[in-house]
Amino acid sequence: MDRKELETLIAKCALGDRAAFDALYAATSSKLFGIVLRILKTRAEAEEVLQEVYVKIWQKSDRYAAGGFSPMTWVITIARNAAIDALRRRKGGAEALSETVINTVPDAGPGPEVLAVQAGERARLMGCMSELEPDRAEAVQAAYLEGDSYADLAERYDVSINTMRTWLRRSLLKLRECLSR
Amino acid sequence: MSADADKDDDQALAAEYALGLMSAEEAAAFEARLASEPALRTAYAQWAENFAAMAEDIPEETPPARVRAKIKAQLFPDAEPQRGNWMRRFGLGAVALAALVAALFLTVDLPGQGVSPPANPVYIADMASDDGALVVHAGYDAETSELYIKREQGEARSGRALELWLIAGENPPVSLGVLPEDDATRVPVTPELAASLEGGVLAISDEPLGGSPTGAPTGDVLAVAPLSEV
Repeated sequence: MDRKELETLIAKCALGDRAAFDALYAATSSKLFGIVLRILKTRAEAEEVLQEVYVKIWQKSDRYAAGGFSPMTWVITIARNAAIDALRRRKGGAEALSETVINTVPDAGPGPEVLAVQAGERARLMGCMSELEPDRAEAVQAAYLEGDSYADLAERYDVSINTMRTWLRRSLLKLRECLSR
Repeated sequence: MSADADKDDDQALAAEYALGLMSAEEAAAFEARLASEPALRTAYAQWAENFAAMAEDIPEETPPARVRAKIKAQLFPDAEPQRGNWMRRFGLGAVALAALVAALFLTVDLPGQGVSPPANPVYIADMASDDGALVVHAGYDAETSELYIKREQGEARSGRALELWLIAGENPPVSLGVLPEDDATRVPVTPELAASLEGGVLAISDEPLGGSPTGAPTGDVLAVAPLSEV
């Protein structure tokens, strides 16, 4: 299903169209369940989180247009954030991720420019990640897919939190520079 | 130099936020800025887009059917929605429907409402989206050369507008304007347009605030209905 079709389904969900919601679920649930399962590892927990994810997708579909995300990124980000939150709850104590992706309503001005999403996005990202030092690329991935905080990463690499932060910020800017080439 | 440094700083912040590395206080401060800084929203959306690529090669896994059932039970506890379009749901043929709508125009005349329906509409149209979420009636008042529009149900999405179009024959759609927030309104119709009402079709599309920037529908067409003679 292409971007336009997915956007239409999300727009219809915002209008209360249950058939569109069914179609959106059919088109995206395997992808999102795969992601949630990869992050959480246990099926029972992944099922619960997937339920939470689709409830959010339905309830927040009217916010989709304001965010400037492509439709797949929007649903993936909701799923990833919900799974990381569940993981952190399981570990206990850690901060929940924010839900700006679905909650922010800009108070002024137009939404972000529509982003051009092309096939091979992953290849491009991985190409740029490979230009980073291996342990830093690994740290970025651990943050995204395992929900590591700066404290977790500092422990993992046996450095201070401040050092970790300086490291990672420098790497992220390098990544940005590569991706915008 | 310092402007560049700020830009870099914002890029790094947007990435940290997208990864979820910030503390709750930092995240809250960043969100406060997001609401009012479009450039920052763009930076965040771009990072989210980039990072989502990491999920691209995670193998798909079909969730068990019970998940879908639970979601539906949670979201729609009022049981299965009825299938079919608005007209069929009410078991009405086109004629009965036209009569119903005509009756509606004749009887609905609430005191205190500024816009009253035509006493003797010449043409009426009954627009409803497939799921019935948006229902709009229209009736042409020949005495005042106005199209009376009544939005029964539904509204524009947040940050969007509903625009009304007249399609006559092979001609491109002509905009009759953006529906106001009020649920009833009257739209003046030029004699030229009035001539094409017969056999014409009314449609409502989803458009940016203020209406289509191009003069033609740019968003989804949500509801369409022919104008029929009363």
